[in-house]
Amino acid sequence: MFRSVPYLAMTLMVLFLQIFILDELSIALWLRPMIFPLIVVLLPMEWRTIWVMLSTLAIGLIMDLALGGAGLYTATLLPLAVMRGSVLYITTRRSVEHGDQTSLFSRLTMRNMMIYVGAMLVLHHTMFFLLERLSFAMPVMLVATILCSSLLSLLIAWPIVRLFSSKIVL
Amino acid sequence: MYRLIEFIKRIYVLVLFLIIEGVALWSYASSSPYTEAKILSRTTAVGGAISSTIGDVEHFFSLAENNRLLTERVAELSEQLAVYDERGMADIVGGGDLVDSLDKEHMGHFRYREARTVSMTTNRLRNFIVLDKGTEEGIAPDMGVITPNNELVGYVVSCSSHYCVVQPMLNVEFSTGGRLVDNDHVCMIIWPGDSKYRVEAQDISVYAEPREGMIVEVRSERLPKGVRIGTIESCELNSTKSAYSAVITIAADMSRLDNVLIVENTHYGELEALKQELNL
Repeated sequence: MFRSVPYLAMTLMVLFLQIFILDELSIALWLRPMIFPLIVVLLPMEWRTIWVMLSTLAIGLIMDLALGGAGLYTATLLPLAVMRGSVLYITTRRSVEHGDQTSLFSRLTMRNMMIYVGAMLVLHHTMFFLLERLSFAMPVMLVATILCSSLLSLLIAWPIVRLFSSKIVL
Repeated sequence: MYRLIEFIKRIYVLVLFLIIEGVALWSYASSSPYTEAKILSRTTAVGGAISSTIGDVEHFFSLAENNRLLTERVAELSEQLAVYDERGMADIVGGGDLVDSLDKEHMGHFRYREARTVSMTTNRLRNFIVLDKGTEEGIAPDMGVITPNNELVGYVVSCSSHYCVVQPMLNVEFSTGGRLVDNDHVCMIIWPGDSKYRVEAQDISVYAEPREGMIVEVRSERLPKGVRIGTIESCELNSTKSAYSAVITIAADMSRLDNVLIVENTHYGELEALKQELNL
């Protein structure tokens, strides 16, 4: 249901983009796009939660080691691994059924897919920036950072999700 | 047994998630003093109400002991007042002024606020104490914290609206100036992290001739004169024989702090600005 090699290639590409390009960009303090949650968000919905969690842990550790997050990336990615089924159901009213022959992602429309990805990115960005600042000082700035960064992340993620829908998921 | 295994099988993903998430958060929290203090402050703010309630009950049962300490303190202050009264009378009789006999420099700009400990640690290398007073009560970082018996506890490092986090002497990142009472020689006080009853005084001049039993007080703009750190337990010359270092027994009982006093030097900001101006 998933083409493993292209999926791995996409994972590497997203990590490369995040670590070497997006993280080096200094556009504005309130604009910090993060697309690496896509790797977790787009893992097969049919996988058992334990495998999703372990894969997420691996991605989180890579990000923490590469960007010096000291656990921040892992701590904000892990909740996505356990919440993605519920978020998908809330945003698209679709869930994995027994006896499905094709991947759940292959049956989602592009619009539904982007709503789901957008919701997950907003969720991740909210947790990330809250945990990073550990302060509710300047709440307007905080909300602006979350929304603007999520929006830019979604724009950057859009071609990747299209590529994923057309080439990787079956 | 079978049911237990079934139960564990059912919840092991959740347990694993909580463990990994906990480890990640702990790792992040301890990555810098800022995150450590902030997270401690935040978690305390959330659990503060519970801790306060439990603390109130404990406080109620320790009222007898607190009353005894307060009575002792009242007695001590009454004695001091009697001395001042006596000196005042003598000055009046001799044509002097009572105010001149008091230490004007240190009476005017120190403010004291009472606070209670909400939570504290003493078994880590970087210990913190959380007090039940915050920015709404006028508390700010860099204020000193002492016991009612005038013994040093530490300094405020972070504040939320209703709570503040104190870096006590029992923290490897703690340092403050010290003064040997007998001869006014200065030293640097740090905590090496090996005992919760002792700190170390470094860079004591060879001319100070420190010896066992000498009292060491704080020498800092953040606190008034007379705040005790402890007494010298042992001392030795360093390898180059250029300075002494001494082990000091801490005066305050850091493992059973309850009521403390937060001390504000209202001139501290001015002093810091002046230092910054001169790049000191």
